[in-house]
Amino acid sequence: MPRYLVERSFPEGLKIPANAEGAEICQMVVLNNVEDNVTWIHSYVSDDRRKTYCAYDAPSPEAIRRSARRNNLPVDRITEVRVLDPYFYR
Amino acid sequence: MELLEREQCFDELEAILSEVAAGNGRFVLVSGEAGIGKTSVVERFAEAHHHNARVLWGACDALFTPRPLGPLFDIAHQTQSNLTTLLEEEAPRASIFAAVLDELENGRAPTIAIMEDVHWADEATLDLLKFLGRRINRTNAMLVVTYRDDEVGADHGLRLVLGDLPRRSVARFRLLPLSQAAVNGLAEREGRPIGDLYAVTGGNPFFVTEALASREPGVPVTVSDAVLSRAARLSPVSRAVLELVSVVPARTEMWLLDDAISPDTGALEECVSAGMLRYEGEAITFRHELARRSVEDSIDAPRRQSLHNLVLKALLNRGSEALLARIVHHAAQASDSAAVLKYAPVAARQASALSAHRESATHYQTALQYADRLAPEERAGLFEHRSYECYLTNQGEGALQARRESLEIWRQLGNRLREGDNLRWMSRVNWFLGRRMEAERYSTEAVTILESLPPSPELAMAYSSRAQLLMLADENQQAVLWGSRAIELAGQLGATETLVHALNNVGTAEYRAGNERGRIKLEESLQLALANDLQDDVGRAYTNLAYMTVRQRKYQLAIRYLEAGIAYTTEHDLDFYKLYMTAWRARSHFEQGDWESAADDAGFVLEHRQVLAIAKIPALTVLGHVRVRRGDPDAARLLAEARDLALETGELQRIAPVASARVEFAWLKGDLERVLGEARSVLEMAKAHDDGWLQAEFAFWMWRGGAAIETPETNAGPYALQMSGDWPAAAEAWKEIGWPYEEAMALAEGDESAQLAALEIFERLGAGPATERLRQTLRATGVRGIPRGPRPSTKENPAGLTSRQMEVLVLMTDGLANAEIAARLFISPKTVDHHVSAILAKLDAHTRAEAVSVALQSGLINQNRERPAPK
Repeated sequence: MPRYLVERSFPEGLKIPANAEGAEICQMVVLNNVEDNVTWIHSYVSDDRRKTYCAYDAPSPEAIRRSARRNNLPVDRITEVRVLDPYFYR
Repeated sequence: MELLEREQCFDELEAILSEVAAGNGRFVLVSGEAGIGKTSVVERFAEAHHHNARVLWGACDALFTPRPLGPLFDIAHQTQSNLTTLLEEEAPRASIFAAVLDELENGRAPTIAIMEDVHWADEATLDLLKFLGRRINRTNAMLVVTYRDDEVGADHGLRLVLGDLPRRSVARFRLLPLSQAAVNGLAEREGRPIGDLYAVTGGNPFFVTEALASREPGVPVTVSDAVLSRAARLSPVSRAVLELVSVVPARTEMWLLDDAISPDTGALEECVSAGMLRYEGEAITFRHELARRSVEDSIDAPRRQSLHNLVLKALLNRGSEALLARIVHHAAQASDSAAVLKYAPVAARQASALSAHRESATHYQTALQYADRLAPEERAGLFEHRSYECYLTNQGEGALQARRESLEIWRQLGNRLREGDNLRWMSRVNWFLGRRMEAERYSTEAVTILESLPPSPELAMAYSSRAQLLMLADENQQAVLWGSRAIELAGQLGATETLVHALNNVGTAEYRAGNERGRIKLEESLQLALANDLQDDVGRAYTNLAYMTVRQRKYQLAIRYLEAGIAYTTEHDLDFYKLYMTAWRARSHFEQGDWESAADDAGFVLEHRQVLAIAKIPALTVLGHVRVRRGDPDAARLLAEARDLALETGELQRIAPVASARVEFAWLKGDLERVLGEARSVLEMAKAHDDGWLQAEFAFWMWRGGAAIETPETNAGPYALQMSGDWPAAAEAWKEIGWPYEEAMALAEGDESAQLAALEIFERLGAGPATERLRQTLRATGVRGIPRGPRPSTKENPAGLTSRQMEVLVLMTDGLANAEIAARLFISPKTVDHHVSAILAKLDAHTRAEAVSVALQSGLINQNRERPAPK
């Protein structure tokens, strides 16, 4: 399955507290993704919390957009990516 | 015998059955190599549930030409319904299938319907599986099919059916060989620890059992060796029974056995107690098909022929329609030419009536092997039938070959009418094979001969076929001319089918040339086809109406034809038309700026394995174009595939939309050279075809690419307006047509306020690259305070529920329990639990009832919303 990097903007800042509520939000996103066979691997969040870079496995960009819609998440850009491991070259 | 290492499979089957009992029917596929134990698993499962479920059982046989709907005949006998009558009367396939569905829908207890060995299924049974697979979820039935996956190649009909089943209602089980530990355990229990038993048998349970029962010192090398060494210990009379049963691919009924060799009961009992045969109701059968094959193959040819003869005589004595396919099988095996000639054509007609056209074509072929003793007229008739059945099943070469033979016979007999009609068919088959020149030659010849005779229905059909050929080649005037002759003659002679056909051809040609009268003719063809239940013609009429209204950008009309047409073709499993119309609906959504629906429709078409290029091209094009405009990855690959397929057809209507997407892609990337290159070739083609819209579109792209190009004077459309610099008029024209992306593109060339309006449209559409481009322009010209566009957010509903949670909440408000919600939304009850607790948390409610009342009071859910009417 292809891997994608999804860029999202949150003008008011992303708020996912590190507690039970936050856990539940993440859990809901994961559950909503299942329907389109989309797997959220992890995300990088900018310091000001207005921008996220999320790694996903998904069958197609459309699947990413469908599950984003279901989760009410914005999508700025989707890029198909591969892993580069710097230590692989040693 | 206990079943080893199948516990997990049983657990999962149990879980499925409980969902089925709740009204969420499922299709269960059990696959694996021969002897892996598929039947044992299914039998054991069915046995465990005969008290709380109704079990229906059917099987396909290893006949060379399978019985049409064989397993359904078996099942029909076990129900109280009128299915058997419908089958015996060869009722229309649709009513037979509907009756099956009815039977599965209306059981009070859940039904476990089993069809075994569907790798041998006939065409009609495959259609039935497809039909049921798409509707099983609304029944409380579990349809279990078993098949050997190693005998189902990539182009096997079953593979195509299984590949297209809706994922949500299918469960798949692939049975694996036994582990070494299990095999050794079995051997020890028999007191026969044999070192290489596992290595030789590969853990195949049937082989293991046979090897252990063979009592040979070592392990027999093949299954066959094992079976035969076991059979060798039988007495001669028992062996005679065994051999007779081995030449019968189906189960051997007691009456058949008695009539053929009237064995004494002792012999039969010996076979059973030796573990070779077993009773199955009023019949006897081998313990496994592998064993039957082994015994059959060990009999020498002359003896085998005489055994087939005995079986044939017994079947004929019984004299039942349901036995036809078996009669033909044994007649051919016994080389009894008189019997083949008598029964093969009857079996072929029966198969055809049940829509098992592939089997029908094969029966005709069997008959033709002995046809040299028939009168020439009869032989020609057999060839004609064979050709038609081949044509219906995509066997173009077979159809052509048979049609050549029949044509030649009629020529020699001097029958001009049949000669003319066969020439018309030669034309059709050649077109089907992509041989346009031959098709035209035969078509002309057919008309010439038939015109020299008194007016006939054959002539009317020859006229209409000629019109169809011309229409397909975009020669609209000529098509109308010939088609009108067909309409007139068919009307006089009352030839309804020909009339429907001709009205469609003329209507399509006229409408395409911009004449509204064409649409009226197509409507007439549609109504006439509906009234006479000519399903294929209905599909063709809807398709032509739908795609042409989209092409003419008459979206309100188009959506009516699309919805009605897709519903009709879904109901009747007319897949090609359904997928083609779905691709055009994708196009229609795309042009109007609904890219989400466009991508959904296009994705749906592309998910199908059995999709012809003609439907695949528009789907690939739309999906590729959506990705271009969204800036999503992998657009280039989709569009390259679409282009290659489109170029193969050589048709402008398929090539231009792909080129349009590719040109736009190049332009967004700033590759102007590529823009010019792509646009130029299509512009030439559009000029040659005198297509004004496409000429303007590609001239526009040449202009955008920087070419000095004259504005086409005759054209006042939006492209020309934009090229002349009149962006406000162009934007207005695009708005009128209903293409928001193009409207924004025109506005983007205007003044600051127009550009800001364009930005808002691009943002709303989700047009990433165009938004980015325009923002850069705005920044470069020093515009300040460029707004950030609207973004979807949980603000859409104040409680912050996701759209899925809203769906669940609506169903909760309707009073549905979690299991019912799960069934309705095709998700597991567990997932519903998660959703419900999230909803309670977000609404700050402690109980379901509280959540529902909060939802209603806060206006989150409208109490007076529309509800689907109960069925």
